[in-house]
Amino acid sequence: MFKLILKMAWKNSFLRLSRTLLVIIMIAVSMSMMLGIQGLYDGMAENMIDKSKRSDSGDISIFAKDYRIERDIKNIIKDASSIKKKIEILDGVEAVVLRLSADGLISTARKSSFSIIRGIELKDEEKFGRFSEFLKGGELNLSKRSAIIGIELAKTLKLRLGSKVIFSTQDSSGEINSIALRVRGIVQTTNISLDKNTIYVDKQILHKFLSVDETYATQISILSKNKELLSKLKQEYPSLDIKSFFELQPMMKMMQDMMIIFNSITFFIVMLVVFIGILGVMYVSILDRVREFGIMLGIGMEYKYIRTQIILESVIVSFIGYLLGAILGVAVLLYLNQYGLNLSSFADALESWGMETVLYAAIKVSYFSSTFFAIITAAILSVWIPLRKIKKLNPVEVIKAEK
Amino acid sequence: MFSLALKNILFYKGRSLTTFLLTFVSTILFVVYVSMMDGSHKSMLENALNIYTGAIEIYKKGYRDIGGNEYYIDDVSSITKKLSRVDGVKSFSSRYETYGLLSTEEYASASMIAGIEPLKEREISSISKALVDGLFLDENSKNCLYMGDGLVKRLKIKLNDEVAFIGAANDDSFAADIFKLCGIFKTGSFEFDSTVSFITKTYFDELMLSNNKASYITLKIDNLENVDRVNKDITKLLNDEELESLTWKTLMKTMVEAMEVDSIFGYISLALFLIVIFFVIMIYGFINISSRIKEFGVLTSIGLSNSNIMKLIFYEIFILTSLAVIFATPIASYICYYYSLNPIVIDGISDMYKDYGIISDEIPFDFSLFTIGWNISLIYILNILSVIYPYFYIKSFTPIEAIRHV
Repeated sequence: MFKLILKMAWKNSFLRLSRTLLVIIMIAVSMSMMLGIQGLYDGMAENMIDKSKRSDSGDISIFAKDYRIERDIKNIIKDASSIKKKIEILDGVEAVVLRLSADGLISTARKSSFSIIRGIELKDEEKFGRFSEFLKGGELNLSKRSAIIGIELAKTLKLRLGSKVIFSTQDSSGEINSIALRVRGIVQTTNISLDKNTIYVDKQILHKFLSVDETYATQISILSKNKELLSKLKQEYPSLDIKSFFELQPMMKMMQDMMIIFNSITFFIVMLVVFIGILGVMYVSILDRVREFGIMLGIGMEYKYIRTQIILESVIVSFIGYLLGAILGVAVLLYLNQYGLNLSSFADALESWGMETVLYAAIKVSYFSSTFFAIITAAILSVWIPLRKIKKLNPVEVIKAEK
Repeated sequence: MFSLALKNILFYKGRSLTTFLLTFVSTILFVVYVSMMDGSHKSMLENALNIYTGAIEIYKKGYRDIGGNEYYIDDVSSITKKLSRVDGVKSFSSRYETYGLLSTEEYASASMIAGIEPLKEREISSISKALVDGLFLDENSKNCLYMGDGLVKRLKIKLNDEVAFIGAANDDSFAADIFKLCGIFKTGSFEFDSTVSFITKTYFDELMLSNNKASYITLKIDNLENVDRVNKDITKLLNDEELESLTWKTLMKTMVEAMEVDSIFGYISLALFLIVIFFVIMIYGFINISSRIKEFGVLTSIGLSNSNIMKLIFYEIFILTSLAVIFATPIASYICYYYSLNPIVIDGISDMYKDYGIISDEIPFDFSLFTIGWNISLIYILNILSVIYPYFYIKSFTPIEAIRHV
């Protein structure tokens, strides 16, 4: 019996071909557009979060107690090297880096600007955050007095590869010290505060320049998927300021939450309108065939079979729309994932906002599963009102009336 | 045709109501969304322009791209004399900017020190209004510093404390002096408040050997919309190939671009809603028209032309759209107007987005009749486009086919 109902539902679905095609196109176009937008927004947020983690704070960062309130070299982690060694052997820890930073003045022969000097070890940074991927020009070379500079700071100071800069700051004894550096590389981390202000030098050179012991650091950053690690570290080192990525970057958390809210609202509105579209078509399609259903009831067909047939009709049309939408959506997402959306004509703005000029989309299975669930639900719900009409039908009256 | 269209609208209540509601919702959504987007952009721009950047700024060519002491404007007074003759210029002031190291006994920090003309600056920018403690500068302030609160915190100083300055003078020699903290400002711009200090230009000129010199001359104009015209007049009047007069559109290119990108994303999201709604309106229109094929067959067989049929369909959608727009526009306009006067406040948003130059928790809407007008026009265009396919569908039937259609 089910086979017969399925066959009838299939044939009836295409009885009014233009109408059915319009619904299929509506579902497919809206779904593929929605998937493209969701993927692009998610991709943008994920990219910013990923790069922000890799370039700076990792999943967890440790500072001396007052460092974040008062960014002073006096507020430094004194036994950072031994803490690093202890953390590295903890369960789930992927990488740990030590960094030494100081605020100061960076000057060229013509321009000056506020800047942050950051002492790093390239090998550790590469393991931690694939630092070489941030390189926009030049080479990753911190030997002797070489430096790597953030792209926005380079723009502000009109620096090129090979340019000479002077960085001045207070050392640990309070004396004003200056160091001459040669720009060997320009990086774009898409972390605005780093790209706008930071100049990277070899950690050992900075230790000497600031007259700070080599075991000291201003920041310890950890990459780890272990969710227990934060509380464990807080227990282990109560005298230090230990923060998770989102605690350090509440803006990123807010951005991620806003993306989820925005995508959910978009999803809800689009699905509601799609539901209205399917409802209209199914309602008219059923009303057109009231006599047919009356005859079917009259010759003894049970209501439940008619109900199944109508639901199947709606599901078939919606499912075809979904399939077409999924194919189009995959194509859009794959394109955006592979080639991205090129906004290089707005490069200045995007870079200054910590975004890449080419935005790549994320692809998640959940996009397709949640849309599938929503469309099928909309398809089933859309026949609920017409079905109530069919249920109340008196076969004899309907057949007579239509005559 | 018009009265027939009206009768049809009343007869096919389901289709009419759906089209009306969808158009009503999309009109409100579209007008309010665009108003919010434009309002937040305008607010960002106005905030930025009010704080420090002028509507127009005059530079010596090369100062912005290369920089250095040879790119300061040499003869400020002769330029300012000419500027007072330009129609549309409200006020102007010269600024001498340099970077230097400010230090106390314990702490030091880099800062941009700007020598300003306090009286003129009061008219041009809002830095005097951003005072939170102490006093703003005047012509007799001498070595008084007016410093951003972020920088004050960084240097751990309080009013009347002394700060040592070391920098490079205009002739490339070392310049050093002791300044006194006389006033603290807070504009809300995180970067600005953490890096900038002001001092009276007359005093600073003596220290920097920069008498009658300036980094640039900043101008305020009567009406921002006339900025291009005023800028053209200034360029013509200056008639100096060594100087360049730039409007805020160039000076704040990054912000202008950022707003354009934001608008692109906003319109992409809006396009999704409008396209889905367009499809549904088209589907309902199509269902309605396809159920009236017989009626159209009769109408054509009694002498109605295709253009009459088109008119009928057009009137139907036009009346429905107009009804929805008549109801939606006052509501949407009121929302825009209300929130343009009473902006939405999201506590903490400026602190969260301080790195992005957001300085206020307020999100004002923009109330512009022109914008509302083009938003509504687009809704009309979309709704009219939605009946084109149903019209061609009807047209594909001959009168006999249409009358026999079941």
